[in-house]
Amino acid sequence: MINKDISIDFLGVHFENPFCLSSSPVDNCYEMCAKAFDEGWGGIVFKTIGPEDFEVDEVSPRFDELTKEATPFVAFKNMEQIAEHPLKQNLADLKKLKENYPDKVVIASIMGPTEKDWEELARLVTEAGADMIEMNLSCPQMTSHAMGSDVGSNPPLVKKYCEAVKRGSDLPMMAKMTPNITDMVPAAKAALAGGADGIATINTVKSIANVDLEKKTALPIVNGKSSVSGLSGKAVKPIALRFIQQLRVASGLEQLPISGIGGIETWEDAVEFILMGSTTLQVTTAVMQYGYRIVEDMKNGLMHYMEEQGVEHLSELVGLANKNIVPAEDLDRDYKMYPEIDWDKCIGCGRCFISCYDGAHQAISWDEKTRRPSIDTSKCVGCHLCALVCPVHAIHPGKIVMKEGRKGDPSKIDVVSQRLY
Amino acid sequence: MTKKYETETPGYTMTTVMEEAARCLLCHDAPCSAACPAHTDPAKFIRSVRFRNVKGAAETIRENNALGAICARVCPTEKYCELACSRSGIDVPIDIGGIQRYVTDFEQADDMHILHAGDSNGMHIAIIGSGPAGLQAATTLLEKGYSVDIYEKNAKAGGYLTYGIPEYRLPSNIVDYEIKRITDMGANIHFNTIIGKDMTMDQLKAENDAVIVAIGASEAKMLPMFENNDAVETAVSFLARTKQAKGNIDLPDNALVIGGGDVAMDVVTTLKKLGVEHVTDAVYEQFDEFRASKKELAGAEREGVTIIDGYVPDSVNGHTVTLKHRHINSEMTIEADTIILAIGQETNAKNLGIKLEHGEAPSAGYKTHDPKVFITGDIAQGDKTVVYAVQKGKEVAGEIDSILGGNRDDQ
Ligand SMILES: Cc1cc2nc3c(=O)[nH]c(=O)nc-3n(C[C@H](O)[C@H](O)[C@H](O)COP(=O)(O)OP(=O)(O)OC[C@H]3O[C@@H](n4cnc5c(N)ncnc54)[C@H](O)[C@@H]3O)c2cc1C
Ligand SMILES: Cc1cc2nc3c(=O)[nH]c(=O)nc-3n(C[C@H](O)[C@H](O)[C@H](O)COP(=O)(O)O)c2cc1C
Ligand code: SF4
Ligand code: SF4
Ligand code: SF4
Repeated sequence: MINKDISIDFLGVHFENPFCLSSSPVDNCYEMCAKAFDEGWGGIVFKTIGPEDFEVDEVSPRFDELTKEATPFVAFKNMEQIAEHPLKQNLADLKKLKENYPDKVVIASIMGPTEKDWEELARLVTEAGADMIEMNLSCPQMTSHAMGSDVGSNPPLVKKYCEAVKRGSDLPMMAKMTPNITDMVPAAKAALAGGADGIATINTVKSIANVDLEKKTALPIVNGKSSVSGLSGKAVKPIALRFIQQLRVASGLEQLPISGIGGIETWEDAVEFILMGSTTLQVTTAVMQYGYRIVEDMKNGLMHYMEEQGVEHLSELVGLANKNIVPAEDLDRDYKMYPEIDWDKCIGCGRCFISCYDGAHQAISWDEKTRRPSIDTSKCVGCHLCALVCPVHAIHPGKIVMKEGRKGDPSKIDVVSQRLY
Repeated sequence: MTKKYETETPGYTMTTVMEEAARCLLCHDAPCSAACPAHTDPAKFIRSVRFRNVKGAAETIRENNALGAICARVCPTEKYCELACSRSGIDVPIDIGGIQRYVTDFEQADDMHILHAGDSNGMHIAIIGSGPAGLQAATTLLEKGYSVDIYEKNAKAGGYLTYGIPEYRLPSNIVDYEIKRITDMGANIHFNTIIGKDMTMDQLKAENDAVIVAIGASEAKMLPMFENNDAVETAVSFLARTKQAKGNIDLPDNALVIGGGDVAMDVVTTLKKLGVEHVTDAVYEQFDEFRASKKELAGAEREGVTIIDGYVPDSVNGHTVTLKHRHINSEMTIEADTIILAIGQETNAKNLGIKLEHGEAPSAGYKTHDPKVFITGDIAQGDKTVVYAVQKGKEVAGEIDSILGGNRDDQ
């Protein structure tokens, strides 16, 4: 079995691997974190700890899922707040974890309604021995509006609370940002101005995943009612990646240290977050669905990828994609690429024909006798919708031509994808 | 005419293997893995596929099973992992063999080299027989740092993988590929060498720290009434000849096969695939007590073989065989161009100094009365399948290593 060093340093802390549990029920207590460490996770962000007097009172049931065809957990919706266990016990758990797992990274997630609370919590988790602090400025379903994503979308408040945490602790600190905001840059800059050393993002996306057609309310139903609350899992990955990209290309934030979160399930997802500028990675939903064991394939797959790429240190990969994602107005619009059909693969289902007609440019004609499509290049705009719907991946990049009146050499245009079908 | 014989059923693509892997329930304490005799750990490699880590899946298979691509094709999964699969509680078990084949094909296409010989510990082991048991034992010993010489009576390695299981089920290029990887690791195979005839057991014992006897049951059984009959051939002779000639053999118009196990199914299916029009199989057992696996029987029936169950040969006169039913008063006479006997195989352990009863060691385990000599594979107790041969090969290597105390640091 391949064995490669996948350790990485983040905010001055050494991670034996970049894979961490994000703050949530997956790392609610000592026993859970210990099991996760034993199964190979590099770090944990302990379930968000609040002040002693904040009463957590949860609803039941508290989850919902978005499905598509036979696929469960396309997205996951939760209505949970912060740690239910008493403050004392959480602190004792942090301490014991650090004692028993000195080489693993223990990160304390904290949240409070006042500056005093933030400062005090920061002091307490530092005393308990945490390696790092994460400020939860982003939970979208708190029962108190003095906490959670309402705070995270208010830059002056973000700055104030970061300063409070820095007064209480000199541990490295990341501010966990909400995606329920148009532009994350002002909030991130406010966090850095307040003393944050890095950013963790994203937390969950405000949502309603399903509506019950009989009860006429959203799911899950809590005595006849429901609420808007946070969405996570695979479907939020694109949202997370866009925020991370936009942070990393904002002026002054090019080297921003980021812990990437949102829909990570496979080693490929992990690499995507790293290429987009994340140094460490955090996971919840995939662990809730499949268990801690998923880290085995994430680590192993990452090692194989590094081997293929000839990369010795994981840090070499961080942010490599940022420069290749440019504003839409800067893209090359001088050419189009026609699709090409591999006749050995085509099974004659006609899906490309339907989608091209009903969703693109009526460029595919259908031979009813032979049950085979053919592409009319005079109508084809090269959108490649057909390639995406083909069930056997028979349609792939074909001839590239310059648009009329544009200059350029089609053979120099770079369109090749390595994605494994 | 040999196309059907030479062509394997198509395998999965990345899209279709993912659909199959998505049916897997990713069970806790997975019953499929517990049921694999060679501990190939299907639950783990299916999970790796599911999470798009095909290379990791290949490592899991390979590290547990040096013949993973072969087992993927010939393992009677219906008796092992797939029998245990929880998915049966919903509909049908996961196609574990098919997923394993996809992964090992990927491994081959990507030219992955997963297994490596360990640092030499200066000890030498001789293995008699290059069937699956001998090959796996060699691999495990090489990994532990032993040097390995394999002595094989035939001109090619593989035992029944090369001289038995037909091409459409197990292409020879797959067998050659798996064997090449083992010789690349350092196994040294001496072909056309019968131990007990061309070389003596004493010589092997003198030259090596231990000797493993992995001779399988490589000879066919005969019924006295069929002896010295030109119309009669044994199943293993027919299958070996056909596989070596890639199906280019002289064909009868009309063949009678006697026997109802998997070997008989291979013979009748091969004959049919090669285009023999009349293939009749006379089987001692009745359908409800058949020994052949359901998959093999279904394959034979699909090809249109005539199966007469419950009949035993009563007398033979040249090409004409008279069969009688075991329970009812019924008799039939069949005249065939060729009569093929598939009534079992036996072991020839001549001059090897080991004691066997009915071709099998008299007691469980791999030790013999001679502390330097071990047995494994089909002649050790336990199931007579490739996957068991693999496991027995691993176990005998582990036992020898624990006795000789090879590389201590990898324990
Ligand atoms: C036609 C057929 C189909 C089968 N199909 C399947 C199947 O689909 N799935 C499955 O799991 N199992 C199948 N089996 C069973 C399987 O092949 C055996 O269980 C397995 O091959 C046993 O492995 P082995 O290494 O013990 O012996 P073998 O494969 O029999 O190998 C023994 C080797 O030792 C060599 N040898 C013997 N004596 C000497 C000597 N004195 N000196 C040197 N070399 C010697 C032989 O030439 C041979 O190469 C099939 C068997 C047959 C015959
Ligand atoms: C049930 C549940 C509870 C969560 N609780 C917290 C929390 O206490 N603190 C926090 O910072 N984030 C919390 N989150 C958000 C996750 O840490 C994470 O940011 C988000 O789920 C996106 O990652 P994922 O797609 O891997 O789940 C919670 C998420 C879920 C699903
Ligand atoms: S690329 Fe777009 S326009 Fe062209 S054939 Fe495909 S779907 Fe139609
Ligand atoms: S969608 Fe794919 S398989 Fe179906 S007709 Fe089009 S090219 Fe062929
Ligand atoms: S028993 Fe079946 S469903 Fe369960 S893990 Fe194994 S293959 Fe998957």
